[in-house]
Formats: sequence, C-alpha cells, structure tokens
Amino acid sequence: MTDIKTRIKTIIVEELNFEDLKPEEIPDDIPLFGDGLGLDSLDAVELVVQIQKHFGVKIQNMDEGRAAFRSINALEAFISERLNG
Amino acid sequence: MKAILKGIGVVGGFGTGIQTLEKVLLNRGPTVESLAVPDPQTLGGQFFVPVDTRQIQDRFPSRALRRIDHFSRMALLAAVLALEDAGKPEVNDRMGVIVATGYGATRTTFAFLDSVLEGGDSCASPTLFSGSVHNTAAAQISMLMGICGPNLTVSRFDLSISEALVVALIWLAEGRVTSVLVGGVDEWCPVLSHCYHRFFGKNDLSPMRPLDPDRQSAVVAEGAAFFLLLPEEDRADGYGVIESVTTGCLRDDAPVLPEDALILLGADGHPVSARRYARFVPKNRKMAAYAPYYGSLPIGMGFDMAIAGLTLRRKRIFPMPEIAVKDVPIDTVPTDSVAWTGKVCCLKITPFDTYGMITLATQTGNPGN
Repeated sequence: MTDIKTRIKTIIVEELNFEDLKPEEIPDDIPLFGDGLGLDSLDAVELVVQIQKHFGVKIQNMDEGRAAFRSINALEAFISERLNG
Repeated sequence: MKAILKGIGVVGGFGTGIQTLEKVLLNRGPTVESLAVPDPQTLGGQFFVPVDTRQIQDRFPSRALRRIDHFSRMALLAAVLALEDAGKPEVNDRMGVIVATGYGATRTTFAFLDSVLEGGDSCASPTLFSGSVHNTAAAQISMLMGICGPNLTVSRFDLSISEALVVALIWLAEGRVTSVLVGGVDEWCPVLSHCYHRFFGKNDLSPMRPLDPDRQSAVVAEGAAFFLLLPEEDRADGYGVIESVTTGCLRDDAPVLPEDALILLGADGHPVSARRYARFVPKNRKMAAYAPYYGSLPIGMGFDMAIAGLTLRRKRIFPMPEIAVKDVPIDTVPTDSVAWTGKVCCLKITPFDTYGMITLATQTGNPGN
C-alpha cells in the first residue's frame, strides 16, 4: 500500500467519522459512494476540502471529482498525477 | 390551549432518564458542583458538568450517528427517552418536532470557525458547517426517528423552552399535529467557560445557592430535556396537563402567578437573578429552585418542567439541597419532601426583565390519577 493510500484512508476514517472502521479495513477498489463505503454528497464536499488541505491538490469540478472518487485506487492515482505533474 | 404531558426524557450531568433525575431529587444529590470537572482549555479555574451520551449507541447504528455531534446526540437521546417514557407511541407524519436552544451547537460552531481560521475559507469544513446551525438537532431527530411532521427550532436564550412550548400548544390546538416532541438542548464549550471566567471570575466550585442574592455560584452545565405532548382531548394518562404557557416583559405585562401553585424558580446561581425572583415572587408562596441538580444553562427551564411533571405524578414536593436553602431570605422553600396536590408553575425571569411561565396541573378523570 502506498503512503498516499494510507493517508487517504486515514482521512476518510478520521475526518468523515467512521468510528467503526480502521483505515486498513478499507479495500483499495471498493466504490467510495453508494453501495460501497456509503459516502454521500456531504462527504464528497468534505473530501474535496480534506484532499486540498492534506495534499494541496484541488478537485476543480464535478467531472474530476466523479472520476477521482470512484475508489481509493482512483483517488490515489488522481493525487499522484497532480503532485507529479 | 392545553396539552397532556405524556412522556419525559432528560439527559444531564446527573445522568440519563427521568428515573435517574427522580433518584437525585429524592437523595438530594449529587449536586452539580460535585459532578463538575475542570475545563482543560480555560486558564483561571473554570469547571463544567459533562454529559455522557453513550446510551444513544444502543438505539442507533454507529454509521447513522457518525456525523452527529455532542449537541445533537444529547437532544436525540432525550427525545428517544421521552418517546420510550410515553410507551413508544407510533411515530408518523402527524407528530411535530420542536427544539429549543439558547446557545446552539457551540462546540461545532467554534470548531467550524477554527477550520476557517486555520485553512482559510476554501478549507472550511462543510461537515462542521452543517452541524453548526441551530436546527441541526431537530433535523437529526426527525431523520433518525422517522418523524415526518413539521419541524422547528426556537432560540430565545433563557426563554427558548417557553417559546417552544407556546408553538407546541398552538400546533396541537390547530390540529396541525396529533402529538409534539418538544424539548431543549444546550451544550458547554471552552468558549463558554472563557466567557464565564471573563464575566464572573474564577469559579471556586462552592455549592450552588440559586436563591442567595449575594453570591455568584452558577456552575456551567449542559444537557437536554424533551417531552411528548398530546392534545387534551386524548385524555391519555400522563404526568399532568400543561394548562398555560406565557411569555412577556415584567415592565409591561407582569405574569399573574396562579393561586396556590408551587412555584419552581429558574434561578441558577447568579445573584442578580436571585434578587429579581425575590423582588417579584411574594415570600409567602411555596417555592423551590432545583438548578443545583442540573446546573446553569439557558434551557434549564426544561429540567424544571420535568421536575414539575414528577411533582404532579408523585404528588410531592422534592427537597432542595440543604446547603442551597441555608440562610436564604425566603422561608417557604421545602427542606424535606412534602405532599403536594396543587398546581406547579415553572417561572423563568431573565436578566432583561422578560419572563416565561409554564403552569401544570394534575389531570382529572383519568384512570392513572
């Protein structure tokens, strides 16, 4: 697991208040919304803020967000691309 | 406009549930100063009385509670307890929800402001913002309990409970709803401790003496008190009947205290407040002040109303703590449990000379009375 993935999972658990979940229990490929982890629209906005706060990466619009928020893998790829690009 | 007080749910520093509050009243303690803990963030020695809301976890899945802060948890737990105390009536779209609060969700409000100060407005937390608005508790109660009737939040500092009850009685009288889950909630936060420190100085945690006109003895507290109200026509067996709720200004329309009623004073350890009650309430009236059991908070009147309900049900006046009545200039405060079958009137007079008054009476013609 990459460091970015660990940090994303920790953000989800701590900032989105999943008290019953440990970061390592979140699979890399689980859908973050809907039937997967079950995040909702308020979580999405919070996640946008937390990604900017922790990684300095802005998610500019809904299209970017929709692709980035598919899974931990997708979000890690999105953040890595912005950090390295 | 009258309503039956069918169920009571309370959460405070004293514990959880109306049965716990009754035990505290019968045992004359513990009183809040013995339950207070130091505020770790305020210099100069401030204390507050924390509330444990863990019982809410037995009633809702943890995922459902993940975004619900301490403020809303207190309200939710008290609301659930009120329904349970009323025999778990069916929840439907004819039940209204009204939440009174003096301060609102202070911890989350200041946490949100901190997020703005730390990260700038682009990094302000949306989750904290959603929890910082005054009506967050009412929304969570309706959503988690499946209550689809009208939903309202009322804020008028010390008179928030009275104003919420006025609306509840109107809703019931109009037939807008068939029941109302109404109550109040307020929470402690470090900023509140800071304000207490600035205004009133160091708290030495001496016993609260709500009727003492010369000593500052308020202990900051938090908690929630909720009630299930039904229309009087239901003739359901409850604690009693809310006969009237009035609010006003002492200068313009001073309240007329009901004859022969026990007066529960909303005095809560501020000497200015004690002097106001002493001026307004004749010394020969039977009266009591129970803030030493629940502390100082804007919705304290909710706890007085819960105690009024217990008084009507048990037909007895509960004693005040001994230290709270020693040497006070009022000689009719009960120092021991005494029988009582008359009305009970909760009176709150604010520093601005406004007042709220709730009068309750025993139900007549019901099997339980």
